[in-house]
Amino acid sequence: MKILPSIGKILCLIMLIIILSGCWDKTEVEQLAYVVAIGLDKPEDEENLVEVSYIIANPEAGNQAGGASSDEPPQETISFTATDFVSSKSLANTVISKQITYDLLRFIIVSEDFAKDDDFIRWIYDATKAMEIRRDIRLMVTEEAPSTFIANNNPKLDTRPHKYFELIFRRGNDTGNIPPSRLDSFFRITEGDANVFLAIYGTTKKRQNNNNQEDPDDLLAGELEYTGVTNTTQFAGSAVFKEGKMIDKLTIEETRIAFLLSNELEQPTEILTALPDPFKDDHQLTTRISKEGNIDIRMKLNDQKPTINVTVPINMEILTNHGMTEFTEDNKKRETLEKSFEKTLNQKFEEFIKKTQEEYAAEPFGWSLEARKKFRTIPEYIEFDWMNTYPEMEINVNTKIELENFGRQSDLPDLNEMRD
Amino acid sequence: MIKNLIKTLQKSTKQSIDNKEIILDKDLPKNITALKEIYSYPDNTDVQFRSLHINGLDKTAMVVFISTITNTKIIDEHIVEPLLKNQLKDSRIENIITIQSYKKKNNMKDVLIDINTGNAALFIDGEDQAYLLNVTNFEGRGIEKPDNETVVKGPKEAFNEKAATNISLVRKRIKNEKLVIENITVSKRSKNEVYVAYIKDVANEHLLNNVKERLKALDVDAIQNLSLLEQYIEERKHSIFPTVLYTERPDRAVSFLEDGYIVLLMDNSPDSLVLPATFWSFFHSSEDHYLRLIYGNFTRILRMAALFITIFTSAIYVGVVTYHIEMVPPDLLLAITATREKVPFPAAIEVLLMEFAFELIREAGLRVPSPIGPTIGIVGALILGQAAVEANIVSPIVVIVVALSGLSSFAIGDISMNFTIRIIRFIFIIAASLFGIYGMTAVFTMGLFYMVSLKSFGIPYLSPLSPKYKSSKDTLFRRALQNEIFRPGYVKPKDMTKR
Repeated sequence: MKILPSIGKILCLIMLIIILSGCWDKTEVEQLAYVVAIGLDKPEDEENLVEVSYIIANPEAGNQAGGASSDEPPQETISFTATDFVSSKSLANTVISKQITYDLLRFIIVSEDFAKDDDFIRWIYDATKAMEIRRDIRLMVTEEAPSTFIANNNPKLDTRPHKYFELIFRRGNDTGNIPPSRLDSFFRITEGDANVFLAIYGTTKKRQNNNNQEDPDDLLAGELEYTGVTNTTQFAGSAVFKEGKMIDKLTIEETRIAFLLSNELEQPTEILTALPDPFKDDHQLTTRISKEGNIDIRMKLNDQKPTINVTVPINMEILTNHGMTEFTEDNKKRETLEKSFEKTLNQKFEEFIKKTQEEYAAEPFGWSLEARKKFRTIPEYIEFDWMNTYPEMEINVNTKIELENFGRQSDLPDLNEMRD
Repeated sequence: MIKNLIKTLQKSTKQSIDNKEIILDKDLPKNITALKEIYSYPDNTDVQFRSLHINGLDKTAMVVFISTITNTKIIDEHIVEPLLKNQLKDSRIENIITIQSYKKKNNMKDVLIDINTGNAALFIDGEDQAYLLNVTNFEGRGIEKPDNETVVKGPKEAFNEKAATNISLVRKRIKNEKLVIENITVSKRSKNEVYVAYIKDVANEHLLNNVKERLKALDVDAIQNLSLLEQYIEERKHSIFPTVLYTERPDRAVSFLEDGYIVLLMDNSPDSLVLPATFWSFFHSSEDHYLRLIYGNFTRILRMAALFITIFTSAIYVGVVTYHIEMVPPDLLLAITATREKVPFPAAIEVLLMEFAFELIREAGLRVPSPIGPTIGIVGALILGQAAVEANIVSPIVVIVVALSGLSSFAIGDISMNFTIRIIRFIFIIAASLFGIYGMTAVFTMGLFYMVSLKSFGIPYLSPLSPKYKSSKDTLFRRALQNEIFRPGYVKPKDMTKR
């Protein structure tokens, strides 16, 4: 009798061990329900519960491959009350047939009421615990309850939900209408306790625009008047989070100013806005504004009253000229134009900084990161207490505008000559 | 009882081999009787015994040859006729016959070898030696184009089944007296001969002795050709990687010879064996150097990409779809999900099924008689591709993945390496279906360890990449010809530089 088993037997055993130890977290793609967005809301008079809403993408929608194309809807939505959005995964399976996965999760939608709740931060930190949730997903605040938002949001063309949200958020970012609002920067800013965080603001409700009609950029989601057969959802402006709690909303214009004054936020590529024409009072000039590199921040923090001098380098293109003033050939007129724009922008910047100092007592620009370099040790920086010192600082903004071009055709006809 | 029978049988065969150890006698009839017995004359129809009388010398003689492998016309004109017509009394045999080359042997064993290789043996009464006259004429085909290692640019000659032709093709390319072609008989019964070609002042002595010793140590009755010899002399017979390069292109064999490698040639083999072989020699093709630098390197990049695509695409698909769905962009993931919705099998089974089908088409296509060959292609492509998708047996994405990996596998020209990567592909698919990318990484790492540990005739398999040797760095990329000044250091050539 042989005591030692043959090599063949040993190999078989090893193979069996490998096969038995494999496959433990195997999933099949078609057996999963892909949650694209989670909605979170506070149910009334329920202290320890949240209302969780899911948008679940239907992979079969619009797909022609593999035989007959189906006429199933592109998404499926569900809202229910649970203790948190982790345990809700199994609870949802009382209705949803497939295993819920957050692998495709791209957005967390929070109602304004819940975001203003002191306890909001307790729930949102669940996202750091769940293995599947990526840190680069976006945080969005809606005026209404997420369940209502999800029910009303009904895109006509980009019917597949993940595509719709991805496209509209990316485009919103490019035009500067909404902030990037990544969840990881929310956690970083909240934990850094020096700045405020800007989240995307959106709604499906229409609201009266109570700001001045002069400036169409000065609006929030829900305030754009439009007609036509399209979706009712609007994304515009941002929700301001201080210490993990929402405190205010910013309009599109304020959001863009926050972009221009920041070195930290991902820059929009195409800010299009109208500024007053210095030559004709009743006309406006449409411009494309882009920041030329980083802004220059000079800080003097040792003084009794800390001062910050900010220089914002801006490249500008003039896209329309309704006043029809000829300034392309005229150096003096161009200088007047630059001066006038600089004055307008300076004024807007200063107004907004004043608002952040007085109303929020914190800034959304990420200047605190710049300020850290001025300190030798972290305890020194902590002792300085940026958040509390910020409201008392003296901040001077100086805009440097460079006019780049004046549209494809720079010349315009002389109106007086034409109509003589 | 059976044992006894086998023993007696073994004895008798031993005896028949021993019979050949006879020293030739001066008596002609005695020699002829012995020969006739050895050749089973007259049962053996193509063995010819032509007796004649040399008038001048007044001696009987006998010409023995095998008519099917000799040039009978030469025998007639240059052996039989001069001998019969000879009238001079004291001329010597070697002055009568008008044949190119001859030798004298007095041992029956040597005589038999020569008769069997197509020479004629001339026995003269009263002489205890035989004249062995070179009249060989084996039938075979001419020089044709290479079938397997085709090139667009470059020579289009291939080795054929005649070793003499093959040697001639090599000599045509190296016109140098230092090119040595040694001859070693490797089998006992069939007396198969192997020609060892090397350049004397380049090839390493130690390596050469190693090869020769291995050839001489063989103890078998017959080795028909180089494909079989390859398996006798390689080091690791169970290894998945080939360690002897097999090429049918004389230009390729010669370029290896010039670098100090050793080339084996043999009758009945339309190819040559190159020793030692590294991974890179299987990866390269001769056209890489015939094309201009940029073009050659472009095909090298393509080939390396194809190698990795073959090994990894199916495995990555299985691994990602079953374990790492977060790695897939949303659009692609949803597309994959949608196509898999109605497929009854798990992704791993689905891919294995298609890969297996692909291998079946390939094997069947190879074995099918050529008149019905095209049918197989149509049936394979149509049934297995289109219909399987429409019947929801496999998803269309799997067809794309498998077709891509199958197509890429053809980019590796060497037949042995081709098998290697095709088999490795299955190992990776199984690893990915059990452990995902983690399993693939583990297998890949182990595979690298194994490759590094391999040796071919004492040469590390991945050299000159690892371990590093002085060489022209012809690995993944090649350099301009002017910069390829060194012979590969790992074969330890006697002359390192090429200029």
